[in-house]
This record gives sequence, C-alpha cells and structure tokens, in this order.
Amino acid sequence: MSSSFRNQQEQWKKEAEKVTERFPERKETFETSSHIEIDRLYTPDQVDEEYVEKLGFPGQYPYTRGIQPTMFRSRYWTMRQYAGFGSAKETNERFRYLLDQGQTGLSVAFDLPTQIGYDSDDSMSEGEVGKVGVAIDSLADMETLFDQIPLDKVSTSMTINAPASVLLCMYIAVGEKQGVSKEKLTGTIQNDILKEYIARGTYIFPPKPSMRIITDIFGYCHENLPRFNTISISGYHIREAGSTAVQEVAFTIANGMAYVDAAIESGLDVDQFAPRLAFFFNAHNQFFEEAAKFRAARRIWAKIMKEHYKAENPKSWKLRFHTQTGGSTLTAQQPDNNIVRVALQALSAVMGGTQSLHTNSRDEALALPTEESARIALRTQQIIANESGVADTVDPLGGSYYVEHLTDKIEEEVNSYLEQIRDIGGAVQAVEEGFMQREIHHAAYEAQKNMEKGEDIIVGLNQYQIDEEVHAELLRVDEELEKQQVEKTQSIRENRDQLAVEQALSQIKQAAQHSDINLMPLILDAVKAYATVGEICNVLRKEYGEYTGM
Amino acid sequence: MADRTIRVLIAKPGLDGHDRGALVIAQALRDHGMEVIYTGLRQSAEQIVQAAIQEDVDVIGLSSLSGAHRSLFPKIVEVLAKNEAEDIPVIGGGVIPYEDIPFLEEKGVNKIFTPGTPTEEIAKYIQRLIHPQAETSLNPPEKIAHIGIAVSNIEHALPFYTNTLGLRLTGVEEVQTEGVKVAFLKIGETQLELLEPINEDSPIAKFINKRGEGFHHMALEVQDIKERLQQYKDQGISLLNEEPKQGAHNSQVAFLHPKAANGVLMELCQHEKEGE
Repeated sequence: MSSSFRNQQEQWKKEAEKVTERFPERKETFETSSHIEIDRLYTPDQVDEEYVEKLGFPGQYPYTRGIQPTMFRSRYWTMRQYAGFGSAKETNERFRYLLDQGQTGLSVAFDLPTQIGYDSDDSMSEGEVGKVGVAIDSLADMETLFDQIPLDKVSTSMTINAPASVLLCMYIAVGEKQGVSKEKLTGTIQNDILKEYIARGTYIFPPKPSMRIITDIFGYCHENLPRFNTISISGYHIREAGSTAVQEVAFTIANGMAYVDAAIESGLDVDQFAPRLAFFFNAHNQFFEEAAKFRAARRIWAKIMKEHYKAENPKSWKLRFHTQTGGSTLTAQQPDNNIVRVALQALSAVMGGTQSLHTNSRDEALALPTEESARIALRTQQIIANESGVADTVDPLGGSYYVEHLTDKIEEEVNSYLEQIRDIGGAVQAVEEGFMQREIHHAAYEAQKNMEKGEDIIVGLNQYQIDEEVHAELLRVDEELEKQQVEKTQSIRENRDQLAVEQALSQIKQAAQHSDINLMPLILDAVKAYATVGEICNVLRKEYGEYTGM
Repeated sequence: MADRTIRVLIAKPGLDGHDRGALVIAQALRDHGMEVIYTGLRQSAEQIVQAAIQEDVDVIGLSSLSGAHRSLFPKIVEVLAKNEAEDIPVIGGGVIPYEDIPFLEEKGVNKIFTPGTPTEEIAKYIQRLIHPQAETSLNPPEKIAHIGIAVSNIEHALPFYTNTLGLRLTGVEEVQTEGVKVAFLKIGETQLELLEPINEDSPIAKFINKRGEGFHHMALEVQDIKERLQQYKDQGISLLNEEPKQGAHNSQVAFLHPKAANGVLMELCQHEKEGE
C-alpha cells in the first residue's frame, strides 16, 4: 500500500469526522436487510498511485467520488422542484404551500417575456404571458411573489439568464423591504448566457456585452452577496437540444472556462468568484454513462481549476451541480411509462453524486405538469432516498470496471473537444461561429434517424405501441391572466415617480458603454423606482443591440 | 408546377427557444428533397407571413413548445388571409395537448403533429398536401369484393344461404396457406364467402373459438394493391400484411389491422383483370 494512499485515507477520515460533527450521519450504523454492515466507503484492497490520482477519496481532489467526505450518509441531496406559472400571486401561494410542507428551497420559473426582457404589455409578449412560468414586470410583482416568505430563511433558485441582473436586483430590493440585508441572501441565478445562444434561446444582447453584465454580477456579488451562487453553468439545455453526454460536459465546461476567463480579465481573482460557480446537468437514459458523466465532469473541472487557473481554495476546485431528469426523453405515448424513465434517470444522478435534483413529471411531453404528476415526481426521489439504500455508502459504483472505463473515456473525449474549442479561440468564439450548435444538431438528427429506423427502441413510441385513449388531465393557464397582468403593469407605470425612473434609466444608459462602472447598483436603483424589466432591458438593447442568431 | 421542388418555411413564432424539433424536421424535409427555409427564433406573425410570401413557399410549418400555440398559430392563419395568401397551408407541432387540435384545425391550421411523429410521416403528408394529383392516381376501392362469414361447418351452413335466401353457390375452394375451406355465394355484383377452418391453427378456428361464428371480414376490390399498401403504411395505418399475398380465385390480398377501420377486419383484394 502506497504511503500517499494512506495519507489521503487518514485525511479523508479526519475530514469525515469533522463533517459529521456538523452533519451527523443519518444512522449510527447502516446495514442491509440481511444485517450486513455497510461502510461509509469501499476502496480496492491493493491501491496504487493510479487510484489516488484518478479517484481519490470523497471530498478530496479530484473529487471523482464526490465533493463531500460522507455524501448522502449525512444528508440527502436537495429535492428541488422547479415551479411557477401564471401570476405572481398564484405562484406565491404555491411557494407558501411548498414551504409549509417542509421544503426549504424555492425554484422560480419565469415566463418567456420576463426571460427575454419584455413587459407583459409588449406586443412580442402576446400569448406567452404566464405560460411557462410566472410573469414579472416590476418590483411590485416580485413583492407579491415573495410576500410573507422571509428571504433570510429560504434559498431561491431563479432560472433567469439575459435579465438576471434585473431580477437579482429585484430580489435584493424585496429583501431590503423585509429588513434582510444582502449578505444574508442565499440562492442561485442561472445567469448562463452562452448556453442560451447554443441551445435554449432566451438571449437578448450579443455575447460580448452579455459577458460584461455577467462579470459585473460576479464582482457585485463577491462584495455584497457572498452566499449567493452567481451562475449555474448549464449543460441541461445543451443535452435537451440533442447533444451526446460527452458534448454536454464538454460544452458546459468550455462555457465555464469562458466565464472564468472573463471574470479574471475584468480584474477579479479566481478564488474570489470560483467558489460561487455552480453547474446544472441533465440525467438521461443510459444509466451507467450518465453516472460516469457526472464523475468525469467533477474530475475534469477540478483539474482545470487547480492546474490551469491555479486556484488555491479547494472550494474553487469543486464542481457542485444540480441535476434535472431529461425532459426530451419523455413520450406523449403511454405517459405513465415516463415515471419509470424518470426513476432510472434520477437514480443515475444520485449514483453520480448530485447536490440537488429535480425529477420531471410524467405529463411534460403534453403540457405543464398537474399537481398529481408533480407529486409522483417528488415521491420518486423520496423512494430512491429512503427505500432503495443506494444512499447508504459513498459512490457505490466507484471501482466498477465498466463505470471507471466510461469515466476515463468521457474525460478523454471531453478534453479533445476542449482542445478543439481552444483552437477556435474559446467558447465565445465557438458559439459565434456556430460550432457547438452544429455539433449538437448533427447528434440530434442522428438520434432521430436511429429512432425512426428502429435501431434505437423507445418503448411505446416505436415499439410496444398500444391503442390509447388520450384523456390526460392537463394543467392550463387561464387566458384572462394576460389581460390582468397587462393592467397591473400599466397601473404601476401611472402611479410611480416617473422622474426617478427616467433618471435611473439614463444612469444605466450612460454606464452601459463604460465597463469600469458596475451596472448592478444602477439597476438596483432603477428597480427600486419601479422601472420594469422591459424598460431596463430596452435601454440596454439600444446600447448593445440584439443578438439575432446564426 | 407539379414537378417543382416543394418549398417549406419552418418557423418559430413567439418567444419559445426550443428549436431542436424545428431543426430536425427542417433537415429531414431536406433529405426528402424539399427546399427548407428556417426563420430562426422569435418571429412575429407578420414576419413569418412576409417570409412565406417572399420565399414563395408551398407550406408553413410552425413549432411551439411554450403553450402559446392557441393564440400564435391562428394569428398566422389570420395574417396570411390579410395578405391574400390563405392558399399557403399551415401545419404545426410541438408540445400541444390533443384537446387543442380541433380548436386549431377549426382556426384554419391544416394539421397538427404531436410529439413522437416520425419525420417520414410529416414529409409524406406534405407531399400529399402539395401534390394531391400524385395520390389520386389511386382510385378509391371500386366495390365490396366479398363479405367473409366464419362458420364451423360449411355443409351445415349452406342450406340457409342456398335454399332460404336462394343464392347461387359458385364454387368451393380450399386455401391451404390459410387453413380454410371457402364457399362462394354470388349476390349481385359481389359475393358472400363462408369460411370453415380445416385445422386448429387456422385463423378462422381461433376466431370461432374466441367469438363464435359470425361476421369475419369485409374485402374491398382495389387496383394497385402494392402502392396502396405502401401509401397506407406511410400514413401510419396499421397493416397485418405489408406485402400482398396469394388469395382465392387468382387474387392478391392483404389485411388491414381492425383498429384501422373501427374494429372491422378489412381486406384489400385485387383480381387479375382477364379473370373477370
């Protein structure tokens, strides 16, 4: 046995003891139904340098086996279901119900106009208000959304990208009104614009000014919101757009590196912002490949942060990630089969050591989930956690010949993509040239053809079809809502201090071209004066222009 | 006109950013020899209609996954009419609940394809939509060729048909491949067929065991049975036989799945012309 192995093992044991003081393990001893005792971790008897270098111990570089020493033996992953629809008032009621049920984290879905920086009364918003999430125009809506929800007690994840700065400022302003200071706010903004150009589509400005706004957020949060995750670098949507598992990791990490580069260039030190970077991945159908993917992603990021960027704080090396099961894998045919798909996908995320998880609802190929479907989705996670026993030892797949091979192979192929992207000139350049978009499209088209030729079987879709009556109960958003929201926003505009709004907007306009001025305090002033998301974004649209795609 | 390459505009109305489906379909239609113009994201109804007119397309394909289809799709039909371009058909797809399909069709959308539709089917649909003449070469079935009635024993069954009804027995034939003995009774232009199983594996034996004697199938006289089967298959009609097989009286036959015809087992039957 090598001494380096023994040192690391000792260190891991010490760290595990330390962690369990704060977060005791769920049970004193874990055992199977046959009373076989389950250890915290299993390693090979004969270990060598290769083991230490590739796998190491959980909570230790390169984190292949997990980012915490005891993982789910102490605490399960956070079960965080994405929700939000219709008006701020309806969503607020739903949030308060969820909090009453013991949920501690909120996850806000915004409607498309909000995500693209249009007010509800903009002609572009017609038909879309409140459809895929909650409509937020002004601070008044945000006040309603978090009414009676103490922002020092909950952590809030917001799926918002191009106008992330505006929504984050509204969150800060609501906190201030509640008497909660900025440094106490916890949560995450998605804020990942690069994947919007690649896969998700809710971009507003061209890449360069968008990157500037993002680094302004990094800088501002480092000084004012130290507990807030400033970005969630997302492979989820890249995968949904049809990429392979390798492409998902490669493009996500390439984007992550672009943000790190931009932040460093703006004058920040890597250890000032890197600990607040978070990731978001997809869990798809191929069980072992998915589990290996998460393990590989952690190892790749750790190496990049330590070796390439020379980060010194171990928190900068750790890839923390949220997972959502794959929406595009769900079928409209025999929708109850989706429950099984989601269970397997969720299991792969747990095997891969996710920090939080959203399980999709069975009816998502048809419409927004009903309450019953959403409950089954949550129960699926709870069954995996409480009944299956998979959370009782750390990284149970570690050491499987197959899984370790896949982990190595994925790392290798991701690195080869990263080299290609570096040769193009980095992720921003690769996005502008459409490199990632093309790679994803080829993979998506190939998958479609394989499915249609019957080479890939999708149960219930191209095999085992049945005659089915379609009578699913589906959630619908009230068509009246759009009208009410438009009226509300117009009344806010009539009753605010118009001069204050105009002054605040003109400050933003002036600062837009001066990258040495941080936009965040100016946007905060504007939202406090009840300037709307659309008004603030329109000022920046004029200054920066709009991205129009490839 | 008939030979012109079909031109398709694939468009993303509204603010939805999910374009995987739109891109995959654009590529698949290109692979079917069509010219496809993709608008990109976030197009207004006016922009889409302008593009359709300028590009002189034969059909517009809309994609939306955000739930806004109920207002966005009809809007495009409306703007087309305003621009006197209502002859351009509109089809659509995305995350669209089945209940919304009648509403959208009523508003003038020609066809909605729900998730899981093979791209092949969409391509064939467009081809038929734009070049219906290519399809009308296949005439509708000419008549009922015969009606099949499953019986346990032809000898016992015959007196009712020949004596009571007074129909003429034109022949009795064994079709070994189907394990069945058939009695043909002429009635006007068409025939009744009494079908008696000659072994336990015969489909007729199974039918009688399960449901008793009675109405078994209806055969339609057609021409171009091969092309017709291919066309039905492309339309997603369930077939029991994808290729025609030899039937009685020098005919070629193929069965459709009963679910294709509301529970009736339907047979296509093509007789050699000179045999008539």
